Amino acid sequence: MPGKRVCVGAITGAYGVRGEVRLRSFCADPLAISSYGPLWCDRARRNFSVTITRPIKGGFLARLAGVDSRNQATDLCGTLLFADRSMLPELKDDEFYHSDLIGLEAVYRDGARLGAVQAVLDFGAGDILEVRMENSKDTVLLPFTAATVPTVDIAAGKIVIDPPDGLVPVSVKTEPR
Amino acid sequence: MARSVWKGPFVDSYVLKKAERARESGRHEVIKIWSRRSTILPQFVGLTFGVYNGRKHIPVSVTEDMIGQKFGEYSATRTFYGHAGDKKARRR
Repeated sequence: MPGKRVCVGAITGAYGVRGEVRLRSFCADPLAISSYGPLWCDRARRNFSVTITRPIKGGFLARLAGVDSRNQATDLCGTLLFADRSMLPELKDDEFYHSDLIGLEAVYRDGARLGAVQAVLDFGAGDILEVRMENSKDTVLLPFTAATVPTVDIAAGKIVIDPPDGLVPVSVKTEPR
Repeated sequence: MARSVWKGPFVDSYVLKKAERARESGRHEVIKIWSRRSTILPQFVGLTFGVYNGRKHIPVSVTEDMIGQKFGEYSATRTFYGHAGDKKARRR
């Protein structure tokens, strides 16, 4: 997936006078943020090598390459940090990154469209895909199981679904393109 | 204080009836329930329940390690989306 970037953290403030920043990690393992190579900044078209110095309440203190003063650090406050998708490690079969699943089109076996995956949730009973239905603000929750989602085709940008009866309102099924 | 053992686990009777009907029919369907207080029993394993969270029914596929918990524990009433980051989902 060349070119795609994933938001892995944010700079929440400056710390001290030597250019250290407060960093919030959005990674499953918060410390992993420093292992994804140079992180891209959403505002300026530049990237930073991140070195975590120590944990603080709500995140980490970090040093960014090329940021040596408090003024530079303050300018970066509120910046989102993105990693290249190619830097994320390969996963086992039947494991997918949330960022890959979000945006995929959900289609039935017969080709009819339901909508697009909006979020991936987990309340303790396995992962759930939240699919936003076409031409509607309503969403449908689908358990992420092999029975309900038999095919995940990230390259083609779609998942094939076979939802159990009673989960999706019958009226929302749209014809194939 | 813990519930007395002699009473057995609490389950709303309509949940038992619905689960029994779904198991007999053998169809791949979601059993919509509003009873968050019901205990998950061994005969529910393999079924998918839609547990109401006050707004919608959250699909809960019951597995063995959920036995003894309440349905409400798997149907959060508040949702925090956050950032996807490098989080992973596993298809079961």
